[in-house]
Amino acid sequence: MIIVVDGLNRHLFGEVLDEMFELRARVFGGRLGWDVKIEDGKEIDEFDHLDPAYVIGLDDGGNVVAAVRALQTTGPHMLSDVFSAILDGEAPLRSATVWESTRFCVDTQRLNRGKDKNSVAYATSELMIGSLEYAKNAGIQDIITVIDPVMDRVLKRSDNAPYDYVGKKVQMGKVPALAALLDCSDERISRVRNFADIHHDVFLEEEQALELFASRKDAELSPANHDHKPRTDLEKYFVEQMSAAKNEAERQDVLKLIEALSHTFTPEQKTALLKTPRAFAHEA
Amino acid sequence: MEIVDLSTLPDSETRYTEFLRQICEKHDMDHAAYAGMNPTAGTVAGYVTYGDEWKDHYQSQGLIMIDPTIHMSRRSIAPVDWSRLERSPDFQRVFRDAHDFGLPSQGVTIPVRGPYGDIGLLSATRDCSKEEWRKLYTHVIGDLQSMAVHIHDNVVTSDEFTSALYHPTLSTREAEILQWVAAGKSQQDIGDILSISHRTVEVHLRSSREKLSALTTPQAVGRAIAIGLITPG
Repeated sequence: MIIVVDGLNRHLFGEVLDEMFELRARVFGGRLGWDVKIEDGKEIDEFDHLDPAYVIGLDDGGNVVAAVRALQTTGPHMLSDVFSAILDGEAPLRSATVWESTRFCVDTQRLNRGKDKNSVAYATSELMIGSLEYAKNAGIQDIITVIDPVMDRVLKRSDNAPYDYVGKKVQMGKVPALAALLDCSDERISRVRNFADIHHDVFLEEEQALELFASRKDAELSPANHDHKPRTDLEKYFVEQMSAAKNEAERQDVLKLIEALSHTFTPEQKTALLKTPRAFAHEA
Repeated sequence: MEIVDLSTLPDSETRYTEFLRQICEKHDMDHAAYAGMNPTAGTVAGYVTYGDEWKDHYQSQGLIMIDPTIHMSRRSIAPVDWSRLERSPDFQRVFRDAHDFGLPSQGVTIPVRGPYGDIGLLSATRDCSKEEWRKLYTHVIGDLQSMAVHIHDNVVTSDEFTSALYHPTLSTREAEILQWVAAGKSQQDIGDILSISHRTVEVHLRSSREKLSALTTPQAVGRAIAIGLITPG
């Protein structure tokens, strides 16, 4: 599934972005050995502060498994600045209908080598489809993308070969980088879709994405005591009191206290809390 | 209908409004507006095809301070369909008023980022069914992107200082391709001569045209010759 995070909705997807910056740190700082700045385990550069758009691939559990960043070529972008060596002193392309894409990465640790939904191949193709379609729907005709030779081979293998290259290959750490041109035509998109056998709408609407992340959070922060592990200090206090209760009257007092403070809990938490101390007490 | 290149319109403030009117006519829009912010010159420019009553109301109510089609759209790189802004209370405020003036709340804003922190926003609106709007949007969005950059570059370079910064720089390949166009070669010929794809020729020509603020290739050739980037014929 693909979501697009940009300057308008990034406040809703802070954790997703953090996960993406961590993935970028592993890929560009670690695996590829590019000369990138990593702070707090995240790779973030000055272009991330210019409200770029991120096209992000998620697995079914809502984990970030792939990402790419897009900027307009009419304003500041990487080829007009830090990647200018690729252009050998030449002026970059500047057009309303050409976007620059950078930092294409896929999580090769989390994903498998096969062909199923959780494979590197699937996530790569899905991200290509998502970024081409996002650009096309915005009226963009071509993408200029800064990639390494490995990515270049991946593009070719995915029936998404660049139609040309601009400038020259330059060394960017362990590997060389180059700038390739891709058209955002229906023809290219259907080629990639056919190759990957992906025919459904790859985009997740903002609402759906928020629901997915909310449910993930619920799973992480399950109500107190389902596993006898109280979450907050107050819950812990109740559980302790319950265990310490020596007779039924004392137990009833604790339950009354829980009832009295129940407005501070969610209904699920309250139910769990009212049940679990009993379990504790019976065990005792 | 062909849109007239901005620089060929009479040099007055009304030429931008005239340009916006032509965009409406060509693309079946009810209204169009441009807002530009140029931090280098410290200026804000605005041109609209709206009637005077709405302009006065918009100004007197200070709606520009909250208008999300400006303040939110500028943070996107893609055109922002106004349906994306609907939930913002500011959107409700601005478009409740707009409704009273008979203006639709269906529209799109295209953000343009310039090289020096300058930002331009071209908006277009149309009162029609959602399906019709979808169709129109898909059909015109590419051209509106180009129009947005064209009006933005023209407005920004009307300031002398920014104009000096904006001096067009063509790459060797862009100049080479324009030079072959000036020599009367077709895109196909040029691709064959330079051993590059037809699409590569096209993307460089598009970039050259926009760098030279030209809407057509012949205009771009003329301008490139005039400023000495290529030689005639």
